[in-house]
Amino acid sequence: MRAALILVATLAGYAAVENLIFNTSWYPKIVNPDSSTGRVELFLWNEHKRLKIGPQVLAIGDSRMGFFPRYLRDDRQLGYTFASIAVAGSTPRDWYYMFRDVDPTRRRYSAIVIPVESYDDPETWDNHANRETDLHYVIAHLRWSDMREFASSYQGAPLRGTAALGIALKGTVYRTDFQDLLKHRRARLAAADLARRESFGWIYDYVGTDYNVSGDQIDWKAKTLFIPPGHHPEERRLFTERLFSGEPPDTGRWSAFLSYWLNRIYDLYRGTGTRIVVFRLPRGPFPPPESPPHKDHSSVRELASKPGVILDDEHYFDSLERPELFQDPLHLNAQGCAEFSKMLGKHVSELLGPAAK
Amino acid sequence: MLFSTISFFEFLAVVLALFYVSPLRARKYILLAASYFFYMSWNPKFIVLLLTLTAIDYTAALWIERSEDRRRKLFLIIGLAGNLCFLGFFKYYNFLGDNLALLLHRPPHAFALAIILPLGISFHTFQSMSYIVDVYRDEQKPIRNPVDYALFIAFFPQLVAGPIVRAREFFADFYAWVHPKSEEVLRGALLIMLGLAKKMAFADQFAQIADAYFSNVAAHPGAISAWRGVIAFALQIFFDFSGYTDMAIGMALLLGFRFPQNFRRPYLAFSITDFWHRWHMSLSRWLRDYLYISLGGNRHGTLKTYRNLMLTMLLGGLWHGASWNFVIWGAYHGTLLSLERMSGRSLFEKRPNLLLYPFRAALTFVLVSVGWVFFRAATFADSRYIIGQMFSGARGVSDIIVPGWLIYMVVFSFLVALAEERWEFTDRLARGPAWAYATAVVVLLLAVELIGVTDKQIPFVYFQF
Repeated sequence: MRAALILVATLAGYAAVENLIFNTSWYPKIVNPDSSTGRVELFLWNEHKRLKIGPQVLAIGDSRMGFFPRYLRDDRQLGYTFASIAVAGSTPRDWYYMFRDVDPTRRRYSAIVIPVESYDDPETWDNHANRETDLHYVIAHLRWSDMREFASSYQGAPLRGTAALGIALKGTVYRTDFQDLLKHRRARLAAADLARRESFGWIYDYVGTDYNVSGDQIDWKAKTLFIPPGHHPEERRLFTERLFSGEPPDTGRWSAFLSYWLNRIYDLYRGTGTRIVVFRLPRGPFPPPESPPHKDHSSVRELASKPGVILDDEHYFDSLERPELFQDPLHLNAQGCAEFSKMLGKHVSELLGPAAK
Repeated sequence: MLFSTISFFEFLAVVLALFYVSPLRARKYILLAASYFFYMSWNPKFIVLLLTLTAIDYTAALWIERSEDRRRKLFLIIGLAGNLCFLGFFKYYNFLGDNLALLLHRPPHAFALAIILPLGISFHTFQSMSYIVDVYRDEQKPIRNPVDYALFIAFFPQLVAGPIVRAREFFADFYAWVHPKSEEVLRGALLIMLGLAKKMAFADQFAQIADAYFSNVAAHPGAISAWRGVIAFALQIFFDFSGYTDMAIGMALLLGFRFPQNFRRPYLAFSITDFWHRWHMSLSRWLRDYLYISLGGNRHGTLKTYRNLMLTMLLGGLWHGASWNFVIWGAYHGTLLSLERMSGRSLFEKRPNLLLYPFRAALTFVLVSVGWVFFRAATFADSRYIIGQMFSGARGVSDIIVPGWLIYMVVFSFLVALAEERWEFTDRLARGPAWAYATAVVVLLLAVELIGVTDKQIPFVYFQF
């Protein structure tokens, strides 16, 4: 009996020490700013610190939304200040926890802006539900009370176990980062400090590349690609993967994932003054001639039927789908980003109408 | 199913739960079933081999007891031959075949067969052989119940890599089983955590450095790389094997079995003689009792004593693996032991004074590390090259990096080992105040969690033997 008591007390002590290190704000402050966890921490930290005067709109997304707010920072004509916590590689599951952290009172923003790739939930090759990296993206914001929901959003016992263990003992997720910290203590602390001081500029002053994919030609029927000499050597692979990988069988996997997490974001803001604007991203420099089959009850359209959700015109940004505005099959270049940002800012402001005083 | 995996701990939890909720009579069946399950999780086919060897030794022991004089010896020889035939075929066939091919000027692998080495065969055959020799020497009554004997051979905590337990030690606990006391449970849990931390946080970290060097020694010329690679392996093999042993002893303790110590801070040894009193003690004891003494020990004059010592160490080396490198490693240690013996036993068996001790311990560590070159290098040519580099005088520019934090960890564990040498506090932790025990376990758990290598499964070094 004594042994059992001591062992239980010891394990409790271990959990307490572990949580003291990793479940407080201490460790996330020194996490590698170049890691996925570090990126999320920097974006959220900057958003917490950003001075918020007047009505605010917060955008989220992945790398395709990365440079969005730069062109809108000083545009006072819009009536809203636009900010972004879009982190490359993040998914709607991460977005839910990021919104929850960045807006704890749910009163900070007039609207949040969520980009999607399509309104019809076409299936993806990747199983987003099983992206283990999501655990790393939002580890600092996961609580013990999230364990059931977050872990069960994965499929299969091993990943669920990893996720549950990761939330219970965050050191298991931070392990690689911690070992890297041990290896490069001074450099890490200096990098973390520099990132805290300078990253606002990194996010809001970044100018994208002027490189564009003009001259590339696609033959959709023959599924061939012409890339003129002098273009980036990776371009062929990227385009081939993006455009000619075929359509995965529609299992409803992506739709279920998207629907679940969009609804969780909606739950966060249900009954608050914050509206949710959903729009379709420019699809790429060469949009496919055939669109995915229309679904009346896709996750996005279902969400749009709820109060406080604005679904933008699906084709609003089609005019940007031109090779001269893209640097690769997915990402807008500097010029594309500028045009897209201005269009989006203006359009969202119009959709929201004049801000309440 | 490696000891350092989650699946093994799930298995252990189920075994412990079933063991303690079952009536006393059923427990041996549970342990035997668990042990066979554990063995078969590696390769189910080889259970036939384990059962065959168990049957041979079980029967041989009974026949030895019932026979007299020459027939008794005959059954002993049959029993030993059975074990040695299996061990010889699985472990040494290709080695002998390759050497024969060399002698006959045939292609290098002309006689080679695709043989998989059965898990733990070197350990369980040694354990079986010690049993029938003990029965022959009337030091052990033969075990009547085949289930009891099968469990002695297959007991999962020590089936794969020891410690090599004598039948009388095992059955003393088995037939007079008593529920482990509370401090034994605490000690068992502590040993499991200690072993896990040694393996995952230390051995696997050093394994990556050693592997980087030994996988292509020619790519890392210079003395610095060579010494770093060799010392990394010296630390890897210690933390790996002693970590495994700690876990095995800890698990056995939780099940009510008290196994002998297998490591006693070997890198604090002040001579090679002292080293072998501290390193893989159950093997040293086996070699002494069943080989060295059987060969005549030191009873037939000086020359024969050295011959016996050399033979024992040569065979000990060969036991580890079928290659000339292991033979040389055994010969190297045999030579060092003989030289120490020639220089006067008292000098190498009695602890030197405090002034001399650090130098003697450092020298011993260096000598042992040089020996590890033969143990770890892929070929004899590699061994020669590494030793050449170690003592070449050319420093070279090393890309074998030992992170600073790992050096601090080694210094810390060295200080802990020195303190343990003086006060032997680990055993007392389980009897001491709860806070001291808890602190030790929390540190070990954090070490496993934060600095353990988990992105790759690095097998225990001794699992290959």
